[in-house]
Amino acid sequence: MAEPQTKQIGKYTVSVIREKCISAASCVAIAPGVFDLDEQQIARVISQNGNDDETKLLAAQSCPTMAIIVTDTETGKQVWPIEY
Amino acid sequence: MNPPKPYRARLEEKQRLNERFVQYWFEFVLPHELNFTAGQYISIKVAESGVRRSYSICSSPAQTHGFELLVDIAPAGIGCTFLENLQFGQEIELIAPLGIFTILPDETEQSLALIATGAGIAPFRAMLCDRLQVAHDTRPITLYWGMRYANLLFWEDEFEELAQSFPNFTFHPVLSQPETAWPLCRGHVTDCLSAHEQPSDVGYYLCGNARMLADVSETLRTKGVTEQQIHHEKFY
Repeated sequence: MAEPQTKQIGKYTVSVIREKCISAASCVAIAPGVFDLDEQQIARVISQNGNDDETKLLAAQSCPTMAIIVTDTETGKQVWPIEY
Repeated sequence: MNPPKPYRARLEEKQRLNERFVQYWFEFVLPHELNFTAGQYISIKVAESGVRRSYSICSSPAQTHGFELLVDIAPAGIGCTFLENLQFGQEIELIAPLGIFTILPDETEQSLALIATGAGIAPFRAMLCDRLQVAHDTRPITLYWGMRYANLLFWEDEFEELAQSFPNFTFHPVLSQPETAWPLCRGHVTDCLSAHEQPSDVGYYLCGNARMLADVSETLRTKGVTEQQIHHEKFY
């Protein structure tokens, strides 16, 4: 019997810093499978797997206030915003 | 609204409007056309590291083969430095269209008040072109534009011409620190707003910094304006 396999959908995990969000909604437009706006028009994560990693990163990079953090799940390193 | 896509565009022209503001003209390279709603913005890649900056489109949505941007160069940040260093014909990468700061559809509001400070005027220029010249919107539309000094104003001739051509459009430039005799509104945009009687069915569209948005929103709330009537875009 074959070993059960775990499907790795994406290696990036995203989170939103609510205090920084200005409701510009660029994340929702670029990655609608991952982000939406809550009742206060603040961005929130609705799924980590709704879009691919490239799209999630682009959504984060397009946020005017850098309110979205992208972390590499495998390494634990923050991918965006870049930490110097 | 159309979903955003990556675009490439080339710099066609730029004009220094005054010591603080620069206007840029770009032509799309690929795809060739952008359909957007007035008030939306674009996200430009300004560094290879992936850093991007957002700018409201200040040209009419009827102009689909290119777009215009207004940039406040005073902050001297990474975005305006990138644009300042662009050569004519050089290409940029952008994502467009973005944003939800647009006039409510179906003319659900009986009249419109557009309230800006500084570079916050950018999305309103697009909205005015669209509403007046393209949609032939006959609702009363009033533009309040706050600036510190008279020599920082621009586009005022354009807005005056619109006011001459479209009787439903009124333009109120407001100066907080006029250096010479200034016959029009003085103070902040809130002062000018308070000085003019506002009907109850106005949709208020605000674009400026966080302080301006808070002050205007508070002024409107004290006048009984509901949250649903206030729409805003924060410039930072």
